Amino acid sequence: MKFLKNVFVVAIGVLTLGAVPCSLMAQNVDASMLLHPPADSWPSYHGDYTGRRHSKLTQITPQNVNQLTLAWAFQTGRSGEIKSSPLLVDGVLYFTIPDNVWAVDARSGQQLWHYTYPPNKGDHIGQRGVAIYKDWLYFATPDAHLVSLNAKDGTVRWIVQVADVEKGYWSTEAPQIVGNHVIVGVGGDMDNLQTFIRAIDPETGKTQWQFNSTPPPGTPHTATGGTTWMSGTYDPDLNLIYWGTGNPTPVLTGSTRPGDNLYTCSIVALNPDTGKLVWAFQPSPHDTHDWDAVEIPVLVDGTFHGQKRKMLMQASRNGYFFVLDRTNGKNLLTVPFGPVNWAIGLDKKGQPIPNPKKEPSPDGVLIAPDEGGLTNFRSPSFDPKTGLFLVDAHPSWSIYFAKPADGTYGWAGADYGLWGKGVLEAIDYQTGKIRWSHELGPGGAGAGVLTTDSGLTFTGDAHGNFLALDTANGKTLWHAGAGAYIASSPITYKLDGEQYVLTSGGSVLFAWKLPSTSR
Amino acid sequence: MSVYAASSIQPALQAASSSDGAVSSKPGATAYESHCAICHGEQREGILPAFPPLVGIQHQMTDQQIIAFIHTGKGRMPAFPKLQGSELTALLHFLSTPALSASASNGNDNAADVHSSSMVEAGKSLFQQNCAFCHGRDAMGGETGPDLTRSKLVLSDVGGNKISEVVRDGRPEKKMPAFNFSSQEVSSLAAFIHSQEKKAASMKGGRRGVDVSDLQTGNAALGEKYFNGAGTCAKCHSATGDLAGIAKRYEGLQLEMRMLYPRGAKSHVDVTLPSGTKLAGTLVYQDEFVIGMKDENGTYHSWKTKNVKFHVDSPVDAHVELFSKYTDADIHNLMAYLQTLR
Repeated sequence: MKFLKNVFVVAIGVLTLGAVPCSLMAQNVDASMLLHPPADSWPSYHGDYTGRRHSKLTQITPQNVNQLTLAWAFQTGRSGEIKSSPLLVDGVLYFTIPDNVWAVDARSGQQLWHYTYPPNKGDHIGQRGVAIYKDWLYFATPDAHLVSLNAKDGTVRWIVQVADVEKGYWSTEAPQIVGNHVIVGVGGDMDNLQTFIRAIDPETGKTQWQFNSTPPPGTPHTATGGTTWMSGTYDPDLNLIYWGTGNPTPVLTGSTRPGDNLYTCSIVALNPDTGKLVWAFQPSPHDTHDWDAVEIPVLVDGTFHGQKRKMLMQASRNGYFFVLDRTNGKNLLTVPFGPVNWAIGLDKKGQPIPNPKKEPSPDGVLIAPDEGGLTNFRSPSFDPKTGLFLVDAHPSWSIYFAKPADGTYGWAGADYGLWGKGVLEAIDYQTGKIRWSHELGPGGAGAGVLTTDSGLTFTGDAHGNFLALDTANGKTLWHAGAGAYIASSPITYKLDGEQYVLTSGGSVLFAWKLPSTSR
Repeated sequence: MSVYAASSIQPALQAASSSDGAVSSKPGATAYESHCAICHGEQREGILPAFPPLVGIQHQMTDQQIIAFIHTGKGRMPAFPKLQGSELTALLHFLSTPALSASASNGNDNAADVHSSSMVEAGKSLFQQNCAFCHGRDAMGGETGPDLTRSKLVLSDVGGNKISEVVRDGRPEKKMPAFNFSSQEVSSLAAFIHSQEKKAASMKGGRRGVDVSDLQTGNAALGEKYFNGAGTCAKCHSATGDLAGIAKRYEGLQLEMRMLYPRGAKSHVDVTLPSGTKLAGTLVYQDEFVIGMKDENGTYHSWKTKNVKFHVDSPVDAHVELFSKYTDADIHNLMAYLQTLR
């Protein structure tokens, strides 16, 4: 039997090699390629380091997008939703759900290989995608391990533990490659845990440095938590990475953690080679509503009120839109982008001041937005031509409770959503004013946003419709029903002269392009 | 640093090596051995990356999907159209034997105890992986999901008869996904949730969640004033009409949540067709492209929104408009008033 198995593995190895699309020049994904990704690639979570999820491709336009047609669909056959952003390198797409990685031909939608991680105890809430460096993929697992796979065939090179699942950690994030560092984070806010951002050697899996969001548990009068479950962004000129951190623990009660609770609910700027903190900005000081500040820190170079600036923009889960000077973390703008009722004003750093009366109470407080936030992890997009920051917003109301009997460990309270809806908001970054809104339906949408240089915005609505909108005014130009909840952010790429847009609905990946004859 | 191979999956319970259920699983195990084991491994562990493991396949696919795979094959997997009847049924049964029942073999004299405690353990493990993020690791509520230990549905559930429905169908309106678990897995989940329910009831000094007694801080007289005045509640509701006896029908958190926003309230729609024909009914579906309604006979009609004129009347929207106007005291007072309507 053992002999037979080996024969099979060898045979499949040959088959797989034969199936890899031939390309004369392999796209060597290294530090310099990641700085200038070619149009026929999407080599990292955001497609590039800016986190703008904006493509220069212009073949699909507002004029022809109504002819968009299905190139192929890939059925994972699983019940879980695709929450990952696919990568594209050398004509092969890589995407995930928890415990699963697929490699799929970007031209045909045919599977090249499928890797499954062994059954494990971790929280299977989501998986946001892999990272690639040279010929190796990096995949975070529910039990907080990092797996390095051979991109050619999905075989395991090594697996390292990032954190101890027994203590309550898990992992969902797509690692980010910066230089020769694989940057990873962890989830785990059901327990009072210290969390961190860590750089791992892409070859050996060894830890290079670690930045702790919070002090170790048991440190008096301090918060734990500050999870790091989303990919950050990178400015190569300043040599800074920008990462969002999650809520403090205990989550809904602040009684044991007076003060701001640094560095929870923060945007931290770190040196990627040392992990040293250069500056930090805190969207939610002393959070008691579970509003992680892990939403994409989007990097934009442009003018702000007439002055040239290197900016960082975040539409944060707590309901505020922030514009910062990313050289030093100084605040340029703080404006809510929907109903928000928990702050009494802004401090001199431009950070909202939480209203103590809106902390969860024994008889309940009414809070906007709800715990899912005014937006969540799916990507927003920045469109440079219009200066619009497009975000899937979730105007919502909820009630929050906490009483001494709830204790001071883990969740430590209870909250209940009352009502919410989905709206795509087009925010003018100079003022924070909403230039247009596009209603996305009851409950909330949750799809990410992609814009292109031709003036198109791709997203999805609460009913599971994929939408293409005119970026200038938010009008619908094309739609198609996915038949399921859309839980990921779209990507786009050009292969063989044809532009593809990739979206997922439920557990199915859809590739769209124009009919070949229409061009 | 722990390093292990992708194929080092915990061995699934071999039906043949277990005294428990060996009789019914045997034909399935034999079918598996002769048709499937060569690629998917003797213990369903798979041979990666080419051949996927089949442990836990029952909650990734329905029986129908598995049968389709077996009969038509896929990619490099050959079709087995002749696998039919009792052999197929036995194989499906074998594939659904969870690896988890392996823990039942740990020595204990009382067989029934072994069964129930291993059920709870198995359910706990499933719960941690699939449910804990929303409902909390202890099932007492967490991110988004309610406390299950004080859910009316859970309290009235016997052996999973009600829980199973929610698990299988999900609650799409609340974004709870449907899960494709086997009956045995659902039973184990129910066993775990009930064990937590017992644990929660015996916890000293109160516990997480919202008690009826927590929601008694308001002033009923001020609530009545708000109801008839600033709250504009009396525009649509009446204490002696639709709300008469409301406090007998709902209490505590459930009453408060319904007061703030009654989920499932119906909207009325009037549609005018291009011909001039008018229809009216209850709104069933509306996105920006299609509108659907049920008429008084219960018949469903839908149109492209661009082809008809329509007007939707949603009285429940008045609740949304109030959110930005309430103070917390208004809510507590209103709650106190509604609780007097018995």
